[in-house]
Amino acid sequence: MAIDVKPTRSELIKLKRRIKLSEKGYELLKMKRDGLIMEFSETLSMARGVLEKLRESYENAEQKISIAKAIDGTIMVRSAALAAKSEPEFELRSKNIMGVVVPVVKRKRVRKKLSEREYGIIGTTARIDEATSAYEELIDAILEAAEIETTLLRLLEEIERTKRRVNALEFKVIPEMKEAKKYIEFALQEMERDNIIRLKKIKAKAEA
Amino acid sequence: MVSILRRLRRTKVRDYAYISARVRVMRRSLIPADEYRKLLNMEFNEIIRYLEETQYKKEIDELTHKYSGVRLLEYALNMNLCATYNKLVRISSGIPRALVTEYLRKWDVQNIKSIIRGKLFGFPDEEIKESFVGAGEYKYEDLVALLSRDTVEDVINALQGTPYHEILKEVGTKPLSEIEDELDKLYYTRLLDIRPESEDVRYLLEFIRMEVDLKNIKTILRLKVEDGTYDEIMKSIIPGGYQISVDEARKLANMSWDEVMRGLESYWFWDAISEKVKEGAPLSILEVYLDKYWCNTVISKSNHYPLSILPVLAYIILKKVETDNLRIIARGKLEGVPKEAIEEQLVIV
Repeated sequence: MAIDVKPTRSELIKLKRRIKLSEKGYELLKMKRDGLIMEFSETLSMARGVLEKLRESYENAEQKISIAKAIDGTIMVRSAALAAKSEPEFELRSKNIMGVVVPVVKRKRVRKKLSEREYGIIGTTARIDEATSAYEELIDAILEAAEIETTLLRLLEEIERTKRRVNALEFKVIPEMKEAKKYIEFALQEMERDNIIRLKKIKAKAEA
Repeated sequence: MVSILRRLRRTKVRDYAYISARVRVMRRSLIPADEYRKLLNMEFNEIIRYLEETQYKKEIDELTHKYSGVRLLEYALNMNLCATYNKLVRISSGIPRALVTEYLRKWDVQNIKSIIRGKLFGFPDEEIKESFVGAGEYKYEDLVALLSRDTVEDVINALQGTPYHEILKEVGTKPLSEIEDELDKLYYTRLLDIRPESEDVRYLLEFIRMEVDLKNIKTILRLKVEDGTYDEIMKSIIPGGYQISVDEARKLANMSWDEVMRGLESYWFWDAISEKVKEGAPLSILEVYLDKYWCNTVISKSNHYPLSILPVLAYIILKKVETDNLRIIARGKLEGVPKEAIEEQLVIV
């Protein structure tokens, strides 16, 4: 018996209260675990779509840039990429999914207007515009994927933590408390029986 | 060169007859349209082997010990283009030679842009050299000498006394995109500045003005798609178009996208893109169709006027289109671009 208890009535009352609380907590944690698993499944199916979109965006961007390099030249394309001075802007917020804090990436306008891009218009073709747009879409897709992957990771961590707590309650804490309760009840019953026998003996002596 | 053109000169029919005949023969070496289907089914190395059986053999053999892959192809195509254009100048004489030389100055603008961009962004000299097509006034050796200057300022100072210097001295104070557009505009305005004192020059000017139309409409469409403002559009308009003059461009610049599409119906190139516009095709595809239409227009005009500069100009354009097509196929194959996507980018006439 792991829990070290004094076999008294007050201890028994305390223990009963603790068992009730633990069982309630166990039920709640099970519900939380199940809810988190559902959220995780929903997010996972969304993630499949997002990652597929990321893969397609990447392939599309690579194809567009190879066509742009063929017509507008490697120097133009690479230098246009290097000339992009500003970094993608985004706002990082958070939201709460069943107690789990997950990121929400609010993407600000990643797309630059043609007039803001660092290459002449007359001497280039629409292929370089399309390659630039494709890479800007790729950045959007990467940010979306980052948001959803982080959400999945955090949900997974929380599910593991919750499962451990549920298991701990189910297989260790509650059984130990119930064991302790049994011990106290048995001990109290023993003491009760001892008292009864002592009283009978005393009565018998008194009558004799 | 421009002063020669401005002087009154009797057109020598034999000059045109000779160069037209030579160009007719050179055109037979261009890759036929049906060969592109075969190329689309080849892998990159097979394409290189195919090109070794064509007019590109010399350049590929020369470069194969030092380069491989897409760099070999790019460099070989540029070298061949340069050699071909220089040959055109060499075998022509009189007015045709002067006109061809003027037209090929567009490569001076292209090469200067590559040098300035390359130096500003720290590209290795070797890589910048590979992009040179020394077919203008500046030959390959001149460009290498220009590139060997230490800084961008040294390059710009070396161009002092040339028409490019006025524009290039703004590098660092104006956006590079504006400077590049100014260089392109300078090329066209210098050409259109030639007085049409003879029939042959009139053919060239009409050709240039139609080319300017295509440049202008592509600029307008590209900026309209990106919600460009009126000022942004007008900054990049080349004056002197055949139908898309500065005033026409102003009208188009003030219109919405749908209004522009309706407005284009009256232009000479509308048939080229009307179907694709209705399908909502992306701009790069519209550009391909405009380029195809332009090639066919120039070929048709050159057939109508065989004893003019037009057959030579047609060949210059077809040769450039061929090298672009080969680049698209080769790069597309290397990057795993689907065959259909490669094919729709090709200008096949």
